[in-house]
Amino acid sequence: MKLIADNISKTFFRDTASSNYFYAVSPLSLELSPGTVTVLMGRSGSGKTTLLNLLSGLLEPTEGKVFLDDTDLYSLNDGELSRLRNEKIGVIPQARSVVDTLTVMENILLPAALYGKPEAAEEVRQWMDTFEIAHLAGAMPRELSGGELRRVAIIRAIVQHPVFLFADEPTGDLDDENTEKVLSALRACAHEQHMAVLIVTHENDAVKYADRLLKMEKGQLSPKTN
Amino acid sequence: MKMLPLSVKNLTRKPGRTAALTLLTAFLALSVFGGSVVVLSLRAGLQSLEARLGADIILVPSEAQSKVSFQNMFLQGTTGAFYMDSSVQEKAMEVPGVEKVAPQTFLASLKADCCSIKIQVIGIDPARDFTVQPWIARSLTGELGDMDVAVGCKVEAEIGEIIRIYEQRCKVVARLEATGTGLDTAVYCNMNTMNTLLAAAEAKGISHKIASGDDSVISAVYVKVKDGVDIDRVNSALTGHLRKVTAVRTRSMITGVSDSLAGISRTVTVMIVVIWVLALIILLLVYLMIVRERAREFAVLRLVGASRSMLSRMALLESALCGLTGGIAGVALAAIGIFSFSALIESSLGLPYLTPAFSTMLALAAGAVLLSAAVSALASAFAARRLSRVNPGTALREGN
Amino acid sequence: MRKTIVPGGVMLLLSLVISIGSVTFLGPCVHDDGSVGACWWAGRALLGLGCLLAVISALVLLSPRARFGAYLSGLAVCALGALTPGTLIALCRMSSMRCRAVMQPAMILLFAAAGLTSLTGALLCAKEERKGKE
Repeated sequence: MKLIADNISKTFFRDTASSNYFYAVSPLSLELSPGTVTVLMGRSGSGKTTLLNLLSGLLEPTEGKVFLDDTDLYSLNDGELSRLRNEKIGVIPQARSVVDTLTVMENILLPAALYGKPEAAEEVRQWMDTFEIAHLAGAMPRELSGGELRRVAIIRAIVQHPVFLFADEPTGDLDDENTEKVLSALRACAHEQHMAVLIVTHENDAVKYADRLLKMEKGQLSPKTN
Repeated sequence: MKMLPLSVKNLTRKPGRTAALTLLTAFLALSVFGGSVVVLSLRAGLQSLEARLGADIILVPSEAQSKVSFQNMFLQGTTGAFYMDSSVQEKAMEVPGVEKVAPQTFLASLKADCCSIKIQVIGIDPARDFTVQPWIARSLTGELGDMDVAVGCKVEAEIGEIIRIYEQRCKVVARLEATGTGLDTAVYCNMNTMNTLLAAAEAKGISHKIASGDDSVISAVYVKVKDGVDIDRVNSALTGHLRKVTAVRTRSMITGVSDSLAGISRTVTVMIVVIWVLALIILLLVYLMIVRERAREFAVLRLVGASRSMLSRMALLESALCGLTGGIAGVALAAIGIFSFSALIESSLGLPYLTPAFSTMLALAAGAVLLSAAVSALASAFAARRLSRVNPGTALREGN
Repeated sequence: MRKTIVPGGVMLLLSLVISIGSVTFLGPCVHDDGSVGACWWAGRALLGLGCLLAVISALVLLSPRARFGAYLSGLAVCALGALTPGTLIALCRMSSMRCRAVMQPAMILLFAAAGLTSLTGALLCAKEERKGKE
């Protein structure tokens, strides 16, 4: 199974009253294959997050198509696309992304609960032990720090067992020890569970976990050379 | 996906927000149920009054304070005692068009030992009476004997109990069904008993003798007009034929009450409409404000694969649950208030007031609850649509 | 701790309404001839019970040690208060009289509300004590 972005771009209008628009993502093509870790680096505002949203089915491109095998993602209706994302695509957003009215455990099991899938509670507990938040299973999000909430989002995405895992600054709030744990876990997801992992990050340490390095600058993608 | 557990968790874990929405819908249900019960009770009271009056015309002495006072005996149970010669009955029968007549005699007690206020005693001729007797017959098998009394439902005296009126021992043989009128506070006896009580009152210095000094007195004559005969014509004929007697058309009493009822009904309806419009506007505004507060939450749900229809369903379910809970609470509060204070409501309105049957109340309650739930869901529909269309990429951007 | 005090505040408010109400706007019948009936004595009893409930509420607010016991006492007083008008002390026989139309339903509802509040307070105290032991 491959994810192929075919000449996709995304423009936004700066001023809705005029035709003054800009390319957040310039026309580009990209292929993601399972079993690989792709690290995407770039400055703030270079279009990394927008590209991630385009690839993960969250934002329709202005031009071009995104194929998951032979399926054009954005030709599906909302119900089909939502189900596909739940089954095949995991996303770890940069911002806080938990439901405040659910406990930590309920947040992690949310993707499975939405479609009535069996809950992998044991696997969840193992990951929570790995990331040292097992004692917070019954806690509410308001009781957790930013770093702890990020680890919750990471575990939620991993236990979804997606084919494609997109992580936007997954180590942003974490200390060195947990940063290493997260990056190791993402690499294990790629190499052992055969996921295609795309990590957007500023962390130079992430480079050593990458099978492929890419750079984004002013909406344009290129391989990173150093 | 079972949205119900998620909706319930969202509601129970945000108690402040849920309480505010529930309170609003409780107010809606309370106003509809409470207002409807009051209006229906007034209508039932009016129908009961019509049935109790029975006669087409009531003859009373001209000295009777005023028609309004006489009317208040039926509406509010205020006591009254006025007398005329008993020959009025025979003279009334002489008027063409009169089918039958029945006398009643009124006496106000000083106070019976059952009550710390005056009560109305009404003497009837059980053989001839066609207004009160049919109602008494529903609660009493057999005749109303000498020194036996039947009490209205608002007189707290048990069957078999002896009550004293002007020191005379009277035995309670029946408690009558509610009519919602002033007749519920009266005590009924036959003419022999009434004559004994009149004599006892005389001994206490309360004179019932009319100017002629005649001992044989009555207070009112109920007249039934023959079918097909013009009641107004008979009314005029009676007025002309009888001296010092006023003929009261019962229709005019009922029309007066009916007009008051229509006025109250209109007022209650307007109040309910105003409350609903205001509450609906507030609900709409609150749900729109909630959109901003919950955009991130819905974005997370979209992120993990919830479809728009799932999210719409969840939002609508939450608002319907709020509405249902609020509806039940509102109806319960209204019911507690109305039934606990029904006597106060009745006396404040000054109109016949008879609570509808239990099945009617249950239907009203169910209707009010369902209406609240439906309106709550409707008010949230726009907000639900907006929330289901939230873009996770935009909503979850850092700093949002 | 704040949670266990709140019902006490509500109880105090209700007890003041009961006490003041029983001699004013929620009071029994007034006779024209100056005599008093049984309902007047019922009103006096309700005044007494209302004052007692106010004292118990003050105890709840001021003494953490006595709080749980005070709530239980309050519950008992409320049960007594709800039974006083009409059951323990007779009222006028005419249901349109003020004692039956206003005093009886109002006092029963107020004592029922205060009783529920006491029960809530007692349960909150018990929950807090269990948490403390854990």
